[in-house]
This record gives sequence, structure tokens and C-alpha cells, in this order.
Amino acid sequence: MANLLRADECLRSNRRRPVFEFWILAIMLIACTAAFGQETQDLSEQPVPILTGSAGYFTNVTAGENALVPIVMPVALVPLGDRWLVESRGRFSAEFERPKGEDGPYGGTVDKTLDYLQVDYIANSHLTITAGRFLTPFGIYNERLYPIWIRDLQVTPLIFPIGTGSSDGAMLRGGFPLNSGVNLNYAAYFSTASTVTAFESDRTTGGRVGFFFPRPRIEVGASWQKLLQEDRTQSEGVHFAWQPPPVPLNLRFEYARGHFGSGYWVEGAYRFSQIQLWNSAMRRTEFVARMQQFFAGEASAPSDGEYHLPHSNVQQPDFGLNYYIKDGLKASAAYGRWLGKRNYNVWSFGIAYRFAIPLGRLEPQ
Amino acid sequence: MKIKLIVLLGLVLAFTLYGSAGSINRDSANTPVIQSNSSDDNRRAEGEQRFRANCGRCHAAPHKFPPRMMATIVRHMRVRATITDDDMKLILFYMTQ
Repeated sequence: MANLLRADECLRSNRRRPVFEFWILAIMLIACTAAFGQETQDLSEQPVPILTGSAGYFTNVTAGENALVPIVMPVALVPLGDRWLVESRGRFSAEFERPKGEDGPYGGTVDKTLDYLQVDYIANSHLTITAGRFLTPFGIYNERLYPIWIRDLQVTPLIFPIGTGSSDGAMLRGGFPLNSGVNLNYAAYFSTASTVTAFESDRTTGGRVGFFFPRPRIEVGASWQKLLQEDRTQSEGVHFAWQPPPVPLNLRFEYARGHFGSGYWVEGAYRFSQIQLWNSAMRRTEFVARMQQFFAGEASAPSDGEYHLPHSNVQQPDFGLNYYIKDGLKASAAYGRWLGKRNYNVWSFGIAYRFAIPLGRLEPQ
Repeated sequence: MKIKLIVLLGLVLAFTLYGSAGSINRDSANTPVIQSNSSDDNRRAEGEQRFRANCGRCHAAPHKFPPRMMATIVRHMRVRATITDDDMKLILFYMTQ
């Protein structure tokens, strides 16, 4: 009986832990606010709340199986005062498929995901404090390239699940010049374990640091994450991005290593804006090529969740074309070849749209 | 566990206070530089350059939005893309002209 009581007490104590940690975060925010007061930034216009985000519709053909993929990712941005920002992104997506080997109607469920719901406090030119649910800062894809109107190829990289997803907790981040030729950017965070629906996260800590060289437009960086539960594994990664200034070319590279394997992706996107022939169409056209490999580890990756790692070694070349119809609207087509235990084609066609709607008056008050 | 959190809290506050002092010094140190480039044309040109260097790393250049929307978007991108304070101000100036 005593053991049962102790176990129950322990269980309740564990349940209280996330609440306790959230209170610590709240105290941190209040303390920082009190320390700095409300300095005003030199902004000529006061920001207004915005509903933005992206919507798209894609047809994916994987190994001959069709999937219809509608997706909406609304983002709410609510600035408060001069230094605060509340931001949130939801994701509503589905993969409507026919039953295997049948010609019946397409069917499936709509997945609803809360990617982030966070409060940002811009403490000073070096530091922003974030609390709540946020995108895990690991590599460059999760935070910067994931939205469908941004990503050059709609198929996410094989190594995307390593170290990424969403975290619940607190984060310190910022960017500032080290000298006239180098900017440093960093993020460090702590996440609590949560099994609450829509707020699932692991107990982790980690960070990312990057150096951006504005003149040659090169960024290099590294990421690290430590799991503070279960087998306490860790993941590491490096990233590189380069936009050679005279050429409309975007080169990106990421390598990541985790408990379930390692891999890389390298991608180049070239805009045909310098080609004079049919320039009005060419400058809207972008060619993309990506090569990626995944090397499976000894442990087999879990298959739950929306994104999961392959269970064996895989390499996949991808090629794509994007056509920017107008601002925020692009059509995409891509072909890839999955080369693993089975070999098959991966096709994707679709359209992505970015919207931005003000939720207040646009005239200065 | 609590001790670790308290230590973490202390480090955060110390770092914040240190950063604040640094930013004040940096702002005063940078004032002559900004003043020397104070003409709108120079700021606009510099803002465009920073826009292409920072924003163009991830996505195609969007059209300009109304100033109040742009102020929100730039604040969001400052956090998301860890853009520096100077870059944010110059990009906002360029995008609202």
C-alpha cells in the first residue's frame, strides 16, 4: 500500500513538473521585462496583427500510388508593444489515397497539427527570449525552409526527422554582427516532455550556432540536441548555404547524425532570370536539383508520426521545376528516384500560395 | 533539478543585462556611421542589399506590403531568421519606401 502511495505521489509529482517549469519561464519573462522597461524601437510604423501563411494542393505519385495532398498552414502574428510578438502556426493536411489495388474513391483523414504557439520578447539587439511551443532549432530546414511556398522541392529531405519537430519550453536566440564581415546567429533551448494532445514534445536541450558572411552570402553553422529521457541519445548536424551574388543560384547543404542513422542533402536552385530568350517567362522559372543519402544506424527508427526515417540505406536524387506565376503563387513539378531496398519513382505536382491578411487598420494611428 | 533551473534563470538574467549594456554601447558607437549614411537613398540601397542577403537566403523576394504589415513581418523574420537589429531596421526602411 505504501509503495502504491509513493508511486502515486511520484506520478503526481511528475505531472506537476511541466507546470512548475512553465512558471519558471513566466518568472524569467517578467524579470526581463522589469529589467528593461519598454524602450521604443525606431520604427516609423506600428505593427498590426496579421493572418498569413500558405495553402497548397499537390498530387504525389509514389511507386505508382496516387495521393491527393491538400494543405493549409495559417500563421497568426500578433505584435504587442515594441518588443513582444505572439506567433502561432497550425497545419491542416491530408493524404487522400485509394485503397491499395482498388479503384474506389480517394479517402483519408485530415491531420491537424500545432507547429508553434510562442511568445517572443525582444530583450535587446543580442537576445530574443521565446517561451511556449516552438520549432526546434536544428539545421536550417525546419525553421526556415519548411513552409510550402518557400521549399524548392515539396518532398522533405530524408534526414528531416533528425533533431527537428516542435518543442515545448524556452529558447534564447538572436543575431548580431561580430564585425563588419560576419554576423553570428544562435539559438539555445530547453524543452519539457509533454504527451498533451497537440503539444507533444520530448524532454530535450540543444542549440544551433551559425556564422553569416554577408558579402559572399555564405552561412555555415552547426546544431546539437540531447534527449533527456529514455536512452538519452544525442544528435548533431552542420549546415551550409551560399548565394553567389552575381548568379541567381541558391546552394544549400545539411548533414545530420542521430541515434537511428545519418545522412545529408545538397540542393541547388537556379532561377533563369539571366537568360534573355523569353525572359518574361524565364525569370519566373527555377530549376532545382537535390541529392540526398541516408545511412541507417543499428537501431531501427520508429515508424510513428508524420515524418520518420528510413529503416535501411537510401539515396534519392530529385529534380524539379518551379514557376512563379505571381507574388506568392507558384506551380511546382518534381521527379525523384528512391534507391533503397526497393527502387521506385516519386512524382509531385502542385501549386502553393502564400497569403497575408491584416487584422487591423493599415493607416498609422 | 530546481537548482539547475535557478542557475539557468540567473544565467539568463545576467546575459540579458550584459547584452543590454552592450547594445546601448553599440547603438551609441554606431550613431556616427548611421548618420554618415543618413540620406534616404543610401539607406534604401543598403536596405535592399541587406534584404537580398538575408531574406533571399530562404525565399523569393515578396512584393512590398503596407508599412504596418511590413513592420509585423520584419519583426517575425527577425525572430525566425535571427536577423540582426541593424539589418531589420534597414530592411524595414527599404520595404516601406
